[in-house]
Amino acid sequence: MRTRLSTLFDALLPVLATLAALAVGAVMLLIMGVNPIEAYAAMWDGAFGSGNAFAETLVKATPLLLVALGICISFRGDVINIGGEGQMIIGAVLATWIGLTLTNWPGWLVITLSLLTGFVGGAIWGGIPGLLKAYFNVNEILSTVMMNAIAVQLMNFLLRGPMIDPSQAERASKIPQTARLIEEFHLARLVPTRLHAGALIAVALAVLVYILLWRTTWGYRIRAVGQNPHASRYAGIKVSRYMVLALLLSGAFAGLAGAVQVFGVNYRMITDGSASGFTGGAGFNGIVAALFGQLHPIWSIPASILFGALLVGANKMQRMTQVPSALVTVLNGLVVIFVVSSEIWRRRRQRRRMAVAGPEETPPPPVEKKPQQAEAGA
Amino acid sequence: MDPSVLIGLAGVLAAAAPVLFAVIGETITERAGVINLSLNGSVLLSAMGGFAVAYLTDNLFWGFLAGMLIGALVAFIVAFSSITLHQSQVAVGFVLALASRDLAYFLGVPYMNIPGPTLPTWQIPLLKDIPLLGPLFFRLDIITYLSYIVIVLAWLWIFRTRPGLMLQGIGDRPAAAFVRGANVNRLRYIYTIIGGAIAGLAGPAYTLNVKPGWMGTQTGLDGIGWIALSITIFGGWSPMRAAFGAYLFSLLQWLGLVLQSRLPGIPSQVLQVAPFPLMILTLLLVNIGNAEWVQRWLASMPEGSRRFFTKLLRAMRASPPAALGVPFESD
Repeated sequence: MRTRLSTLFDALLPVLATLAALAVGAVMLLIMGVNPIEAYAAMWDGAFGSGNAFAETLVKATPLLLVALGICISFRGDVINIGGEGQMIIGAVLATWIGLTLTNWPGWLVITLSLLTGFVGGAIWGGIPGLLKAYFNVNEILSTVMMNAIAVQLMNFLLRGPMIDPSQAERASKIPQTARLIEEFHLARLVPTRLHAGALIAVALAVLVYILLWRTTWGYRIRAVGQNPHASRYAGIKVSRYMVLALLLSGAFAGLAGAVQVFGVNYRMITDGSASGFTGGAGFNGIVAALFGQLHPIWSIPASILFGALLVGANKMQRMTQVPSALVTVLNGLVVIFVVSSEIWRRRRQRRRMAVAGPEETPPPPVEKKPQQAEAGA
Repeated sequence: MDPSVLIGLAGVLAAAAPVLFAVIGETITERAGVINLSLNGSVLLSAMGGFAVAYLTDNLFWGFLAGMLIGALVAFIVAFSSITLHQSQVAVGFVLALASRDLAYFLGVPYMNIPGPTLPTWQIPLLKDIPLLGPLFFRLDIITYLSYIVIVLAWLWIFRTRPGLMLQGIGDRPAAAFVRGANVNRLRYIYTIIGGAIAGLAGPAYTLNVKPGWMGTQTGLDGIGWIALSITIFGGWSPMRAAFGAYLFSLLQWLGLVLQSRLPGIPSQVLQVAPFPLMILTLLLVNIGNAEWVQRWLASMPEGSRRFFTKLLRAMRASPPAALGVPFESD
């Protein structure tokens, strides 16, 4: 009974962490002279208040989930991919280019090709830091951040120059955006809302990533390298190769997220000069969602929906109460900090339970569990 | 020398101060074995906070102090969650980098685009009249002078004092330092917070001096923390070499601006983006000597050229403190 209660408690920890973050947010709202109950009510209404609102939440959750899937792979391989923003951009740029070039081809083929191109584009953009890490010892955290900056400027250059909408090029305004994709190339809408087929793709891929990580040799080796590169080397695993693979796949999913954003939501690329102007910060928030989902692809689904809801709700809150929606990104950070800190709590209680059980009964360190603890942070 | 070039170069020195504080702060923190990855966020937050406090109190001193306190506070969170809570430094630092950046943009809204106090120039008497060196180094402002002093002090502390030796010890061989009687985790706390406070000067040095005012996302400071983290590696965890990196970066940026006005044919994005591939390249050069295949390649070389390349690679190489990012437990 006691153990069942503790399991329940463990499962509830992320929820408690979220509530704690919301409580801190409430204090901040109070300081700003806003009624937190009103603000959170507006947020809830904006995220789940109607069918349309919920669809909007899922639309925001889709790129988060796709990025998070990649993060699950790379962080489990102990390579830190912070380049989601840049990988999304490159994936989107290449996919858009396909969509704008092959206008005479059948729709299903172009959509498939474009999404694949986005996947490959992201893989290249993630693979470069992977190679640099594996063969030149270049810290991947820094190189992926640099690759973000390069991708942004590349996008700015392309959307102002070679890829600019021809009608914009003629006008004086010259808004940096590409032409609109033709109707046949739009991803199918699921219900009469903005929800598109990309959400289904993301969920299907979550299952695939789960299978990849826990049911295939590749996945096993990626995780093995992540847990102990030295032991893996002695076991005959080519460590460098799997580091590159982890970053490559991670980038690929972010690239796909970028392509899906273009073909499912915006139907064109437009830049305001910054990365988040296109990605909406999904490349970063996907990391947050993955950490919240314990770096597990299936748990990343509800985690992405939660953060999607926070983002959508924040817009409504901003409209209703004039609180800048940036508050939500602060909340995002707080949620993760609380989740990560609650993990230590869980572990401490676990240790105490073992101590009570006595040394004879102490089970060997659970193999499957260990990575989870390590990466909940890493 | 053409006086405009001299003024430009002096401007480079002043513009390098924010990067420099961030780099020196991070170097000290990492020497102790802790990675403070939150740098990008904490610099932005200290930039906003420092400006806001200086504006509200109309006193520059409080502004700089506020910046230091903010940097120290963020560093404390990193230290607390990594040392006491045993969390991954990278995850906590990264989340803090995002959260404090957003917090800066969020809290900074009321202070956007308003004129605030700025640091006056203060020419050092006597020193300013030295030919060439005077106009280059000593006709600037007090925070830039402080940046020179911080480099030298940090170097002296790490490499020429007994506590500095201990600092190297807790970053390289914490177990050995522990046996020698050092309280490793307490020292790591202290150096993380000190490093954070120094890095916290970077923000106000920018918003109260280099480019006065807080302009939200247009401030132009975003990304500097990541650059500083790279320069820390380039600097091989030595304040002198790190300072060289920071000045080199600032110089390249200035040259970019100059080139842009001279060569209108180049798309503006090329020069804006140039620092980033350059940073990747320098990280590559600094680390290439440690790569396994390079060692193998060297071994297969004829004697003469091998000696040359080995020396070259060793000069470029930077090896991190051995226990960087590794938690220490005394039991």
